[in-house]
Amino acid sequence: MSDLFAFNGAQDAGYAQPDPISDEFTIPAALQRSKLPRWPRASEPEIVRHYTWLSTRSHGIDSGFYPLGSCTMKHNPRVNERIVQMPGMNDLHALSPASHLQGMMAIFHEMQEMLAHCAGMDTVTLQPVAGAQGEFTAMRCVQEYHRDIGQENRDKVIVPDSAHGTNPASAAMCGYEIIEIPSLDNGQLDLDALRAVVGDDTAAMMITNPSTLGLFEPEIAEAAEIVHEAGGQMYYDGANFNAILGKTNPGLMGFDAVHYNLHKTFSQPHGGGGPGAGPIGVKSHLSDYLPSPLVIAEEDEEGETWFDWYEPPKTIGKVQQWHGNSGATVRAWAFYRRYGRDLEKMSEHAVLNANYLRHRIMNPSKEVRDSIHAMPCDGAPADVVKHEFTLSMTPVKDATGVTGKDIAKRLLDFGYMAPTLYFPMIVPECLMFEPTETESKEAIDQFADDFLHILTEDPELVKTAPHDTPVKRVDEVWAARNLILRHPCDDE
Amino acid sequence: MVDQLPNLGREAEMLEAMGMTSIDDLFTDIPEHVRRSEPLDLPPPQTEEEILREARMLLGMNISVDSRPSFLGAGLYSNYVPTMVPMLATRGEFLTAYTPYQPEVSQGMLQAMWEFQTMVSELVGLPVSNVSMYDASTAAAEALTCAVRVHGRKASQKSTIYVSELIPPHRMSVIHNYTQGAEIVVKTLPHDDDGMIDLTAVGAAEGACAVYVEQPNSFGLLDPGVCELKPMIGENTALIVGVQPVSLGLVAPPGDYGADIVVGEGQPFGIGPTAGGPIYGLFACSEAYIRQMPGRIVGLSKDSDGERAFTLTLSTREQHIRRHRATSNICSNETLIALMGAMHMALLGPGGLEKLAQRNAGACSATKSALVALDGVELVHPNGYHFNEFAIRLPRPAADLLSFLDDECDITGGLDLSQWWPERENELLVCATDQIDIEDIEELAEGIQDWLEGYE
Repeated sequence: MSDLFAFNGAQDAGYAQPDPISDEFTIPAALQRSKLPRWPRASEPEIVRHYTWLSTRSHGIDSGFYPLGSCTMKHNPRVNERIVQMPGMNDLHALSPASHLQGMMAIFHEMQEMLAHCAGMDTVTLQPVAGAQGEFTAMRCVQEYHRDIGQENRDKVIVPDSAHGTNPASAAMCGYEIIEIPSLDNGQLDLDALRAVVGDDTAAMMITNPSTLGLFEPEIAEAAEIVHEAGGQMYYDGANFNAILGKTNPGLMGFDAVHYNLHKTFSQPHGGGGPGAGPIGVKSHLSDYLPSPLVIAEEDEEGETWFDWYEPPKTIGKVQQWHGNSGATVRAWAFYRRYGRDLEKMSEHAVLNANYLRHRIMNPSKEVRDSIHAMPCDGAPADVVKHEFTLSMTPVKDATGVTGKDIAKRLLDFGYMAPTLYFPMIVPECLMFEPTETESKEAIDQFADDFLHILTEDPELVKTAPHDTPVKRVDEVWAARNLILRHPCDDE
Repeated sequence: MVDQLPNLGREAEMLEAMGMTSIDDLFTDIPEHVRRSEPLDLPPPQTEEEILREARMLLGMNISVDSRPSFLGAGLYSNYVPTMVPMLATRGEFLTAYTPYQPEVSQGMLQAMWEFQTMVSELVGLPVSNVSMYDASTAAAEALTCAVRVHGRKASQKSTIYVSELIPPHRMSVIHNYTQGAEIVVKTLPHDDDGMIDLTAVGAAEGACAVYVEQPNSFGLLDPGVCELKPMIGENTALIVGVQPVSLGLVAPPGDYGADIVVGEGQPFGIGPTAGGPIYGLFACSEAYIRQMPGRIVGLSKDSDGERAFTLTLSTREQHIRRHRATSNICSNETLIALMGAMHMALLGPGGLEKLAQRNAGACSATKSALVALDGVELVHPNGYHFNEFAIRLPRPAADLLSFLDDECDITGGLDLSQWWPERENELLVCATDQIDIEDIEELAEGIQDWLEGYE
């Protein structure tokens, strides 16, 4: 047990700094700080050990299989980290003149073009710094577009009940009213339910495809037609883009706007919750509203390419104060260069691995099957899934009392991150698995065997899991009731 | 040839196990009419070596602020980050983790964020901090919408907020985008000729939901008047203060003078200016705002054995539970950069923080003295107390001086303030952080002198 606030060395225990170059400054008397913050007083060796110890109590994709559905936890090539720490990246200022940023802008320009091409869109901005901010930004562009063409009465956004929570939250932040439509029993988009709610007050429909069940929506083009006929816009939540690169794209499906999660599809490491990056792409009728600035390429008199900033004429302005998460853009660039045109193979392998894992779990040998208390069932029926799939633990719960959460916790004992739990909400006792293209056949086989083994275990053992983790099951209710949100930093 | 796919060459074996013969069998669910007809028109895959070579070439074309004397700040600051910070933060267990939804295997990151919350809380003088926002601007914008949710019902000026007229226009734009959906009315608070908030005009904000000011403000001015705002606006109007966190090594924490919410750019702690991202926004508040605040927060708890354990808490505010009624849409945040910030703060300690603030204040003061000594240069706010930055007025456009310094002296001179406010064409915002030394200042002063003389 290492406690940061137990380090109580000398007042100047931290790293040594050069002396101030002048002491002729004045802080107005009314503004002088009387007591310094009670930060730890520790030397570098102590701090290094503290954080190293903390790292041993964390689990990343580097630590083991991380089948967290919807989050696309793929390998992060290490050279990408090396690149962003090089001079000319970490020490750039966003407000430096364009002549100082030509290399970075070349990477930005290439990424704008590449992302537009992969999604079938016309214009891309790299400014939004997270998927949710991409959604918000795109909906702001749609909103300004509608105001511009005299259709500000369009104040409703339609989302399926299987949508990510950020979709309705982002649209609501723009001021939209949310209309949630139920899915069909098989988890697919219900066109009749869509027809029943579209109208001249529809601003947009927000949907991800493949859906959050991991299934490709077979009637997506028809849905786009229905929304477009009513005068609405189609928004593509790119969280599941990893499934379809090179096979289809949102433009072909009829979408007008899309966000990309660079931290999913293009491997910006997620760092325990962020950073991410959520660039958006739009069709040309929305291009003039994008946040400012974009990067454009020009030719100078000598035919040399010159990159410059460009402000779209009807821009919504800024959603982040600089140029977005430039570091994420550069990492994603290095990742994309690793694959190039073989990004299609990446998607093929993501889908191959998901289907293989589903097959291995749902088709145990007779010997294993006979020792299992109850088998889970498909979250939705399907011959093939895309990059992820859902299973319902309801049969297991009915037979043994073991819940989806219990199984998720028991998986931690085997060194795995748990699959996404209880999402989408339309599948009861849902576990959502996404192995990504990163996992080898052996890793998937082992995971499937371990998962099936858990279904044979004494239900009491599973219900009280985890047992072999740094702490046992954490009481989340206690945390919310007591709200101890910081260390007391007592002086003794 | 791609080297990132462990199952390359083993597709047939895996397909066969599923009773399939071709990869195409996995994509039969995509209808013909939405399929791509052509493969991706992208270059062939590259090796790590090739990518690194090209990255080195491209990034080598950039001119960084560390490679020359640089006086450009304006919200993004040159700093020194101890080597330990990136080395430890990029340990795979931290770097490659997702949001800690499973606390039992995420205790390390959760504890690190709880410690981060504690250090931010101590720094700004408020009891609660979240785990980070995207940047200072989104933190300020979401602080304002948070305050409207808290005070909207009782406010006599419904959905109205007052914002200092001196906040940078890009931040104002972010605030507009984040507040227009809730039909929030944004009004401005004027400043006097000295750049100080005009206390005689603050009465207008009475009964509003929030007042947002910055300390130091965009001209680097420390404003004692900000300390007087809370009693003037009262309990039912949130005082939101934006800070440059390094200044708090010398300057009173806003919690001490009644701030309800403090926001700011965490960047000087933990990471270089990195072209403006990823950086992280600070967001701290008093207890009255907890249930309406945006973002993730870590709480102390216990496990089933009664042992100390950490977990994300108050999730019922968030989008994955509350959907369109959530307090914010934020999901991914900037945790890894906040972790770097925590490491940097922990290694500074209280004494190191104070010294870092003194170095910044000293560099600013020395630069100011050197420039005002030049004939033709005058301070825009001669009566002000500055931290990090100050504005000077020149006889000719600042853009011209910046080009001269860039082309002739290899100096990045600061921000041409007409980029923010067109009427300030002859004004330059000069920033000096702890990374500026005496020689840099001499070079800048000589450069400006040469430029001034060039027009005599």
